[in-house]
Amino acid sequence: MRLAAAAFIGGAASRLLPASIPFRFFGTAVVYHLLAWIALCADPQSVPRFAGGLGWPLAALHLVTLGVLAMTAIGASLQLLPVATRQPVLSRRWPAAIWWLYTPGVAAVALGMGIPAPRLLAGGAVAVVAALAAYALLLARNLIGARGMPVVIAHGWAALASLIVVLASASSLAGAYVGFQGFARGMALAWHVTFAAYGFMGLLVLGLSYILVPMFALSGAPNERRARVSLSLAVAALLLSASAASGVAPEALRIAAIGTGAGAVALHWWLMSVALKTGMRRELGRSLALVRIAWFMLSASLVAALGIVLAAPFDGIGALFGLLLIGGWLLTFLLGILQRIVPFLASMHTAPGTRQPRTPSSLTAERPLAIHFSCHLTALAFLAVAILADSPWIAFAGAVLGTAGALAFGTFFAIVVRRMSIPGVNGKRREAPAS
Amino acid sequence: MNACAADGPLAPARRWVEADGVHIDVRGLQPPGPLVAILELVESIRDATPVIVHHERDPQLLYPELAEIGWRAVRLDAEAGEVRLRLERVP
Repeated sequence: MRLAAAAFIGGAASRLLPASIPFRFFGTAVVYHLLAWIALCADPQSVPRFAGGLGWPLAALHLVTLGVLAMTAIGASLQLLPVATRQPVLSRRWPAAIWWLYTPGVAAVALGMGIPAPRLLAGGAVAVVAALAAYALLLARNLIGARGMPVVIAHGWAALASLIVVLASASSLAGAYVGFQGFARGMALAWHVTFAAYGFMGLLVLGLSYILVPMFALSGAPNERRARVSLSLAVAALLLSASAASGVAPEALRIAAIGTGAGAVALHWWLMSVALKTGMRRELGRSLALVRIAWFMLSASLVAALGIVLAAPFDGIGALFGLLLIGGWLLTFLLGILQRIVPFLASMHTAPGTRQPRTPSSLTAERPLAIHFSCHLTALAFLAVAILADSPWIAFAGAVLGTAGALAFGTFFAIVVRRMSIPGVNGKRREAPAS
Repeated sequence: MNACAADGPLAPARRWVEADGVHIDVRGLQPPGPLVAILELVESIRDATPVIVHHERDPQLLYPELAEIGWRAVRLDAEAGEVRLRLERVP
């Protein structure tokens, strides 16, 4: 007989990576999150009418997408998928090697975009593409060996296919800066934006939500058939969008893609609402408030996309679409989930030598999260107003608030890491029935 | 011992009572069904009665949740292919 909480970490068949692996991805994401907001502070004049092109806004965008979103997705999926799909961790060296390749690659890409320095950008892109390709292989091996959770696995495969499109289009776009001729720029850009945000990251988020949201709410698994319909609609929307970008009936297919994507989102939203309404745990705090806001922003991004297709008479529609999609949907969702899974994973790693693991609540510092919550949402609101009013000053104020929020989030993360290394008493417990 | 006699709507796991505690068999449930079923049972117990869990794998996500409500898990010997745990309130 043995104390299970202390034993499961070190077991030969453990499905947990060493804490240093997921936490290095999460910690780096926290740092790049701060750098992204600082990069936005560097050139607020370009923010309200941003429509692509080298400079600090593009660097900020990629610090978020590559440095925060993909970085966290790699750490979370490499850790959560083996746990959820009942298989041992396949490799401990590969995730670490991916981090060593990916992290400086992202820095080079962002710096190359910001300065700008096309050769630095291209060199960084080579490292990023190589690291993401290695991650794709690890993800594929995890998905092949998975048992159970067919809906999550199906989302994983669709996200993986999207990642391949993202890597091909990114190589073409980055190569163009150093004279390499790949796909037509307009087509590559459309594929890149759609398959990176709605495809790779979007489908990974929707798939992992079918594990995470019921787990947080303590509800039953979402209806599998409806989740499959949602996924089918999402994949159909991506294919319609890709066809439109290739020049086949662009306006009609883009409108059809947005309509189909809206159907996928509505169904997913409904499944998540059922999970939250039927769960044992009703009070989910700030983290779920961010997730709910993110779901709304996802819907709003589709409305903005429709505005772009219908050539809405507003110069900032592209920037607004990017803000809603990346800042409003993906970043807000991820920060909401991250503040919940970081203490949870930390508590799973605090057992060695102790008789009781630290509780997630005893590892969480609420004050920095409260500051981050206010700053993050206010920053997004300021950026939206800056785009609507074409005001660089309001954009700068938003970027400063975002920087303050990122600092607060970094403080929360640092406190979790510090507390997980200190054996201590679990001071507070969730309300439980009395003996 | 004072546990809910009937399964909750979210947790169609088999439960029965033996001398060593309330047993729950969550094998075959789709995640997070086992987690929900176990916590639903644990939170319904008002005294020091232990819970014996019959699982098909080590429920790693359960341990932080148990710690949060002042319970812990002890691994018991079991047949091949089964993970058996005794859950008990931390004194």
